[in-house]
Amino acid sequence: MRGAVVLALLLIAATVASLLIGDVHVGLAALWHGLWGGDGPGALTLRIIRAPRAAVAIGAGGALGLSGATFQMLFRNPLAAPDIMGFTSGAGLAILVAITAGLTLPLPLAATVGGLLAAAMVVLLSHRPGHVTPALTLVLVGLGVGFATSAFGTFLMTRLSTSAATEAQRWLSGSLAARDWGHALQVWTMSSVLATALALQVRALDLLELGDDLAAGLGLRTERARWALAATGVALAAAGVAVAGPVPFVALMAAPLGARLTGSRSMGGRLAAAAGAGACLTLVADLAARAAIPGLQLPIGVMTGALGAPYLLWRLSREMEKGEL
Amino acid sequence: MTDDSLRAEALTLGYGERAVIDDLSLTLSPGRVYAILGPNGCGKSTLLRAFARLIRPKAGKITLGGEDLHRQDTRALARRIAILPQAPLAPSGIRVSDLVKRGRTPWRGLLAPWSRQDHEACEDALRAVAMTELQERPLAELSGGQRQRAWIALVLAQQTPFLLLDEPTTWLDLPHQIEVLSLLRQRNREAGTTVVSVLHDLNLAARYCDHLILFGPRGLVAQGAPDDVLTEANVDLAFGLASRIIPDPSAGTPMVVPR
Repeated sequence: MRGAVVLALLLIAATVASLLIGDVHVGLAALWHGLWGGDGPGALTLRIIRAPRAAVAIGAGGALGLSGATFQMLFRNPLAAPDIMGFTSGAGLAILVAITAGLTLPLPLAATVGGLLAAAMVVLLSHRPGHVTPALTLVLVGLGVGFATSAFGTFLMTRLSTSAATEAQRWLSGSLAARDWGHALQVWTMSSVLATALALQVRALDLLELGDDLAAGLGLRTERARWALAATGVALAAAGVAVAGPVPFVALMAAPLGARLTGSRSMGGRLAAAAGAGACLTLVADLAARAAIPGLQLPIGVMTGALGAPYLLWRLSREMEKGEL
Repeated sequence: MTDDSLRAEALTLGYGERAVIDDLSLTLSPGRVYAILGPNGCGKSTLLRAFARLIRPKAGKITLGGEDLHRQDTRALARRIAILPQAPLAPSGIRVSDLVKRGRTPWRGLLAPWSRQDHEACEDALRAVAMTELQERPLAELSGGQRQRAWIALVLAQQTPFLLLDEPTTWLDLPHQIEVLSLLRQRNREAGTTVVSVLHDLNLAARYCDHLILFGPRGLVAQGAPDDVLTEANVDLAFGLASRIIPDPSAGTPMVVPR
């Protein structure tokens, strides 16, 4: 319980900080005033730039965190996150394709389709008839699919005009620049619906944790439950990617960070903690990306990459010590 | 007349091309304690898994109450047959009480609150395995025997007429093997639960079970009361082992002594 309070306070602090800090400095009093009416450049900055940006960061980070937690529990492997297994790259590529081809497809839909296609590829490529696929195989095949996706993305960019390519490059590394309330509404609506769907599947996750045989013995249709959970997880990742781009490592780090902070044991608690930690990570990374170096706005992906790469290396070394790799 | 037996009818099981169990017919009647015995690779576990509907028969069928298992509703079936697999996975950090609570899953609606029956079933299951005192302890901190008892409490909380266990004693030392087998038999005598276990130890099986089902490399060798199944000829057929059968000096049940 105390851990949940800590996480909530961190989230509030990160939100306030990301509203206050930036090229235009806003004081605490001006923040209160500016959010509820008020005018002048400070208030405009808040209402039009920073508040929607923070709202998008929280929504996207929460969605990515939930997605990561779902896959990590589903495969019982801390490496099995949608960003490692290529699902977020798939979602990102689908959006790039949609933009390049000038399709008038809603971006979240394109992202979901791309994520599902990437997931289907990973499953097909790692499937051997009559064998249960080890989680590690999925992770490695997923890495491969991720690389192939990135390569195809790079190829697509050579077909674009220089300015469009720069924009696409920025987007593909994950960015929260120029997000408005429309984006925030979109990611919050989609995440809420999907989080509800996930909440209804918490019991299935609880049972799958005991192994498929016991879960089936307790009345769970394990195959169906796995597919439903995986589809929910992909859609959650896509919801995040559609507004923030394929931000790397948030999904990978959120659940372990949330668990460390809250120490929650129940499945619902762990999922909520992952969502909170994902939102925190995204807010802080975005804040650091735009304010760490004065005058230079980095894409958020650069920041989560800087955090996530060392984490991934540490995780890999831990898994090697345990003999899992 | 209602028939509550679990029945294999002309059952063939196998993976890929190979049939592990071929054209087997077998009846598990309510209220008895069964042991499935035989050498490694004879299909004991495969048969048990088929009885729990974890695998689909290649031919033939398994019926419960006269109806094909594969035509029954998954949740309804989980209220009638429980299975404890050989190596269930323990969620990290889980406490005994939380583990046992998961046994109530087939009885609970999606949004149903934790009911009085759920509570009583868990208390009863913990009592049956003598784990009431240890229920707040994390599973990982317990000894091997205690852990196995916690897993058994989970399937007891499921409150099914049939309880299937895949090698419930394999990793335990002798006192804990006896503890597990005697608590299963006690459950059978008190609650009428039909217990079906895959076991390795012939002498313990003879001591604690009413009915033995003995497989050899070429299928079913014998089934029936321990005295009828554990004969020198049958042990030789099943295991290729020359032995003598003498009465267990303590329980009077047959005891296999290798020559």
